[in-house]
Amino acid sequence: MVSDHKLREAQLVYYAEDVGEIEQELDGFLELSGARCAMLIDRSGHLVTRRGESLGGSLDSVAALAAGSFAATREMARLLGEGEFNSLFHQGARESIQISQISDRALFAIVFDDRSNLGLVRFYAEESLGRLQELFTEIQVRAESGTERGEGLADDFSSSASEALDKLF
Amino acid sequence: MVQINFAQKQVNAKIVYYGPGMSGKTTNLEVIHQRAPEGNRGDLTSISTDGDRTLFFDFMPLDLGTVAGMRTCFQIYTVPGQVYYNSTRKLVLQGVDGVIFVADSSPDMMEENIESMKNLEANLIEYGRSIEELPLVIQYNKRDIEGALPIEELEEQLNTRGAPAFEGIANTGQGVFPTLKAVAACVLDSLHKQQSSAGGQPAAAAPPPAAPVSAPPAAEEVAAAPQPIEAAAPEPPAPAPAPAPEPETASPAERATISMSQTGFHRAPSVPLPKPEPQAAAPPEEVQPEASPPQPAQPAASASPAGELRMAPPPKPAAPVGEAPAGGSGLQMAAKPQSFRPPEAPAMQPVQPQAAAPPPQPAQPPQTAPQPVADPGAMATQEAPPPPPPPTPGSMMRSESSSSVPQRRTPSSNTFRGPASATPASAPRPTPQIEKSKKSAVLTAVIIVVSVAVGAALGSFVLSIL
Repeated sequence: MVSDHKLREAQLVYYAEDVGEIEQELDGFLELSGARCAMLIDRSGHLVTRRGESLGGSLDSVAALAAGSFAATREMARLLGEGEFNSLFHQGARESIQISQISDRALFAIVFDDRSNLGLVRFYAEESLGRLQELFTEIQVRAESGTERGEGLADDFSSSASEALDKLF
Repeated sequence: MVQINFAQKQVNAKIVYYGPGMSGKTTNLEVIHQRAPEGNRGDLTSISTDGDRTLFFDFMPLDLGTVAGMRTCFQIYTVPGQVYYNSTRKLVLQGVDGVIFVADSSPDMMEENIESMKNLEANLIEYGRSIEELPLVIQYNKRDIEGALPIEELEEQLNTRGAPAFEGIANTGQGVFPTLKAVAACVLDSLHKQQSSAGGQPAAAAPPPAAPVSAPPAAEEVAAAPQPIEAAAPEPPAPAPAPAPEPETASPAERATISMSQTGFHRAPSVPLPKPEPQAAAPPEEVQPEASPPQPAQPAASASPAGELRMAPPPKPAAPVGEAPAGGSGLQMAAKPQSFRPPEAPAMQPVQPQAAAPPPQPAQPPQTAPQPVADPGAMATQEAPPPPPPPTPGSMMRSESSSSVPQRRTPSSNTFRGPASATPASAPRPTPQIEKSKKSAVLTAVIIVVSVAVGAALGSFVLSIL
């Protein structure tokens, strides 16, 4: 029905090793920039990982809203003939958030307060974005070539899911 | 797109409620939010107009618990139904894994239903997706409305591909959970199949949920069918008496709908209501134990976003702080006050006088001093250059920040590299460099004093001539 390639494209698989490298990069960024929290969000709105301080409220909701907000911005850019706005910034009285795009599949969201500032955050975010971009390219290449890291869903995933659904509903 | 995160041991899938305006999409989500066990649901976020019409989307995370060692979460969205909002509707469809199409059974809404279904197809195509490949479940909502269109007619017009379908009265909760369960099962089933085929694993586990129940449900459907949706009557009694058995009766029927994805319409009127209440009572006990284990497991892996979702207040402090985040934040907190702020004051004071007070003699030596120091202090100068570029950001309202950026950065970079690299660089400086700089400073000071004196003399001479 559907080619393997397409199936792989239809999923985002993050292996522990990849996420470890991403987290290392985020930690480094936080240390240099003084930002509160750094999140990596895929463009569907799913959170990949978060480092730094905990945010109040639901982190998944923040991720979904960030992705939605960025998607809306992208659409505005398209309508304006700009192609794409690759970053987005919201400023608050105390908290601010900067969202940048990494490749076609992920967003780099940074929450910071008055302990840091926009210039500092943008400067170090630019550096981190380059490295994250490389990481994502590697992940993408690996996914396309079918080279996987040996992890996979258990054979009984489907039946377990069915049981879990029965319990929940 | 389903996200499989082996680091967090988590699977995330996106389900979208689609359909014409006012068909009951948001109501479905509200019912799920009200009746889902507290430990499994996240906050309901709604971006709506003043009139409670969905403007962008409604969103709610739903945690299914741990499935085969993976914490499985659904991100449930609704779209704005009005034709006017198609651009935002399309955005919400990005990366969708399963769709619930909520059709309005009102007699005058058939046109809108059909148009919305076509719109769904068109928007999916824009993302390179086909409605044929996507898990789709249809809910015929508002079955209690007077003059509701017959199911057969709705099926004929909207369900040409034989997707599982359910009757619903969303504002009473009827049909809400069976619909969601059906699409959730389809999504997870297709995910497993995809993983199996992509990873070369045998897809043996896929059929089990379907096959066993396929026969009995048929009978149930038939039995249920004669009972019209007015089954609202049997619902009330059901919830209180037997919460446990009901789910059992419900599950097979739904399993059937899931497995027989092409069997078409399934009535689930009598099932829905009993479920919600049992969930509130029984499931929590059953699910939580399952839900709690994953939490300890996640921490081991690393960050745990989902932990926060489930139990808003308690987990936040526990999960995030316990791990890397704590370390990260701790470092920041400790480093910043010491490195960013304090350095600023001392750093700025010496710098400003240099620039602002050129006339006095003391200011001049420093100007020459930096030059010689720049060569040996490679480590420091490497970092010094970057600060200037950052000012670029302060284009909007950053007149303050742009001026402060370089000042902050200089100290910060010094402090960070300081422990690692700056220390060795600063050690060698004292002997050779300082001597040189002192000499050159003295020389330049002398030269400047002389030149100033000469200048003054010349000036006074000229003045006297004039």
